[in-house]
Amino acid sequence: MPLEQALARLQDLGLPTQIRESDWLFPTIETVHVFAVVLVVGTIMTVDLRLLGFANKERPYSQVAAEMLPWTWTAFAIAALAGMLMFSSKALTYYGDIPFRLKMICLLLAGINMVMFHWLGTRHLDTWDRGRPPRAAKFAGGASLLLWTTIVAAGRWIGFTT
Amino acid sequence: MIQEFCDWLSKTNVSVAFQSATWFVPTVQTVHIISIAILLTSVYVMSFRLMGVTRGGQPLAVLIAKSTPWVWITLCVLLGTGILLTITEPARELLNWVFRVKMLLVVALAAILLVVQSRMRRSPEYWTESPARRLAARAIGIAAVIIGAGIVTAGRWIAYV
Repeated sequence: MPLEQALARLQDLGLPTQIRESDWLFPTIETVHVFAVVLVVGTIMTVDLRLLGFANKERPYSQVAAEMLPWTWTAFAIAALAGMLMFSSKALTYYGDIPFRLKMICLLLAGINMVMFHWLGTRHLDTWDRGRPPRAAKFAGGASLLLWTTIVAAGRWIGFTT
Repeated sequence: MIQEFCDWLSKTNVSVAFQSATWFVPTVQTVHIISIAILLTSVYVMSFRLMGVTRGGQPLAVLIAKSTPWVWITLCVLLGTGILLTITEPARELLNWVFRVKMLLVVALAAILLVVQSRMRRSPEYWTESPARRLAARAIGIAAVIIGAGIVTAGRWIAYV
């Protein structure tokens, strides 16, 4: 299969091989990944909890989102980069791992959920920015919470199945 | 003595039951990580304000008052899930120097949070009313950011040392 050949070639490259064979490189990259993921999840949950009405109810949604989301994106970029480095070190193993696949699917769904919410969910933002969000926005917040919890769980399971 | 305690604990019915359920450790770790996410985000939002990196939004006193229950509830969940993980694999934690460093950092962070919150309750202007206080706030913010990163780092390295 061409994809598997490409993954085999990827993990034989210099840097992936170095990560795989070094004692400290993988745990160091993993630490950066976990640290960044923790901040992604924490900042996104703050926004989700505002949508669901569990936190920051008295503050405009737009203010909470504007404060949190730049940090989310910065941390996400770092987490993704570290994640790709880890993936490259054992690409074939991760590719075949069920929790890894579940994590990637949930990441994709979280991305779709976010794009849909920003296109459709915030169209009438001025009508609910200071109050209770409409059902669709609450649904987006709940879905995000669920997806990111699954992403963390699947991520942890990868460590036990690879 | 710690070694003997670990041997004894790992042979108790509770520990054996936790060890034999393969889902147990990753599930508890997931709850642990989600709690760290909430705690660390709360601590960092507070710290960046104390440092003056972020400005505006809600007043610092309001921000700290609102984050207080979240911080202590998540710390309790972290303690609880941490105890469950220790019962499951006592030697992995209790005989590990990185684990001990992590615990010291957790105590330091809890102490910082107590000081910041209690002074703030005394006066909403406490951390901003003089240049010396602002400097102290900045130092405390930097310390909390570094200690928070240190806790996450130590937490991951327990598995490798």
